[in-house]
Amino acid sequence: MNAVVSARGLTKRYGKQVAVDGIDFEIAAGRIVGLIGPNGSGKTTTLKAALGLIPFEGELTVLGYDPRTQRDALMQEVCFIADVAILPRWLRVKDAIDFVAGVHPRFNRAKAERYIANTRLQPEMKVKQMSKGMIVQLHLALVMAIDARLLVLDEPTLGLDIIYRKGFYQNLLEDYFDEAKTIIITTHQVEEVEHILTDLLFIRDGKIALSASMEEIGERYVEVMVSGDKIAAANALQPIDQRTVFGKSVMLFDAKRVGGVAREQLAALGEVRNPSVADLFVATMKGTYA
Amino acid sequence: MSTAIDKTANTRINTLRWLIRRELWEHKGAFIWAPLLVAAILVLLIGGGGLYAAASTGSFNFQVGEHQVVAINGIPPNLRAQLAGVAASSYLALSAPLFLVLPVVAFFYCLAALHDDRRDRSILFWKSLPLSDADTVLSKVIVALLVAPLVVIGIGIAASLVLLAIGLVAAAVNNINLVLPVLSDYRLYLSPLYLLAFLPLYIIWALPTVGWLLLVSSWARSKVFLWAVGLPLAALAILSWFDFLVGRFSGMSLHAKWIGEEVLARFLGGLMPGIWFGELDTAAMRQMEGGLDTVMLLRLSYSTLSSPAVWIAAVAGCAMIYGAVRLRRWRDEG
Repeated sequence: MNAVVSARGLTKRYGKQVAVDGIDFEIAAGRIVGLIGPNGSGKTTTLKAALGLIPFEGELTVLGYDPRTQRDALMQEVCFIADVAILPRWLRVKDAIDFVAGVHPRFNRAKAERYIANTRLQPEMKVKQMSKGMIVQLHLALVMAIDARLLVLDEPTLGLDIIYRKGFYQNLLEDYFDEAKTIIITTHQVEEVEHILTDLLFIRDGKIALSASMEEIGERYVEVMVSGDKIAAANALQPIDQRTVFGKSVMLFDAKRVGGVAREQLAALGEVRNPSVADLFVATMKGTYA
Repeated sequence: MSTAIDKTANTRINTLRWLIRRELWEHKGAFIWAPLLVAAILVLLIGGGGLYAAASTGSFNFQVGEHQVVAINGIPPNLRAQLAGVAASSYLALSAPLFLVLPVVAFFYCLAALHDDRRDRSILFWKSLPLSDADTVLSKVIVALLVAPLVVIGIGIAASLVLLAIGLVAAAVNNINLVLPVLSDYRLYLSPLYLLAFLPLYIIWALPTVGWLLLVSSWARSKVFLWAVGLPLAALAILSWFDFLVGRFSGMSLHAKWIGEEVLARFLGGLMPGIWFGELDTAAMRQMEGGLDTVMLLRLSYSTLSSPAVWIAAVAGCAMIYGAVRLRRWRDEG
């Protein structure tokens, strides 16, 4: 496998605090990976290490480059949004397009202008005159027009309304993504991205809590709406999470767990379905805030 | 293979060009409008005042040298020639106030250059583009040391020419025709070149200051001005105090005075055009007659380069610029 990102024992310490604790992972080309974790879990630190923004320990290669020593070469092929609404206040829309077109060999000007035509942005407008949502729209228009081999999006749609968010992910999938590209997304609005993700990477306390493709997850995790009379039987099968919806118990089972259960066995307990990423996340992160 | 190298060299220069353009977008007010405004005020005050005086009194007060104040109403030819000589050789001196704007603008530009985008976090946008930290910092050095002085020199020459033209008209109104003698004086045309000839010297003298300010700008999390100016002054104060106390009881000295003059002045004052005049033999300058002897001034100015201190300071400036690049590369912007 030709990994786009490959980490071995990646560690980042801030003083005595360990932000990322010796993690290993690989991300293959042509995947859309959701890097998901609570605040302070180390996901942004991991991304910053991969983008050569901070020094770190351990091994990490991105597109075959070491982000510490080969960042300039790496940035020819990688693009990222590390934070939204951070464009400088004096920048004009037309200058921003001119600038990126001037310095980025993979920038498609027509594409950026097309994205901008779909917004209320005007060429003469300065960032300081824009609403937060408009700044994000400009930033996304610039980045989406760059034909990067790896695109890293850290909370890309923060501050956008739901219509634009949906449209953005639609564009990302249909217009931007292809099998030669790789996208890493972190977001708190997991429900909005789960249908476009191909892989999940849960991170907790600086460690990888779960790393799997969406197919594996569909096979492995099962959610059951347990009918009232079978709760005791269901509890005996050791669900990894349990909640109540409209008086009914919803239990989450891990088929790979030691002594795990088969789907058919669970079907006898009640209605069986695939859990949402958000529910899976909550179950995996249990106790994080305790 | 050579074409590939040419191509990367081309893209690098192209990137630098865009980075410099970027700086001018951001600082148009400081680098273009501020000197233009000062030039406009100069033209209005000096030019307007001169015209008003010429029109209202019908006589003209000229000052030649230091004491010779003459009221002129038709003057002898030798004085006329002298006047024309002064005008043709010294008209650029009228733009001197502009060269006080330059250090102020450049000083605050350097302080903000690597700090503002960290403060508003837009550095994360710039760093998401294929721009190396070395090129980014280099573009700011070029703007401070080359672009800003060139703009001021250009505006200064233009303003001086306008003022010279006004002066010639005012003189003509008073029946003193200086147009021909001034236009035929070669110094009229050479003066702008002489002014430009100071630029390399200015760059060498300004390097330590630009380096120091960029280093602080790249390092400080906040209060850049306080760090850049306060830190050296505080260090100097401590050294002076030590010298004062210890010097009384023993022969030991930390050379506070020397550090103040040689190190501090170069770190903080290098952007001031003509800071090197402090090292010149002023006796030679006082003997100039018949206007500014720019060639001699140039020669004297460049003779300061024979002092190793100038070069040591310039190398220290480059080292600090390198430090600023390293800091920008690795500083975690959270």
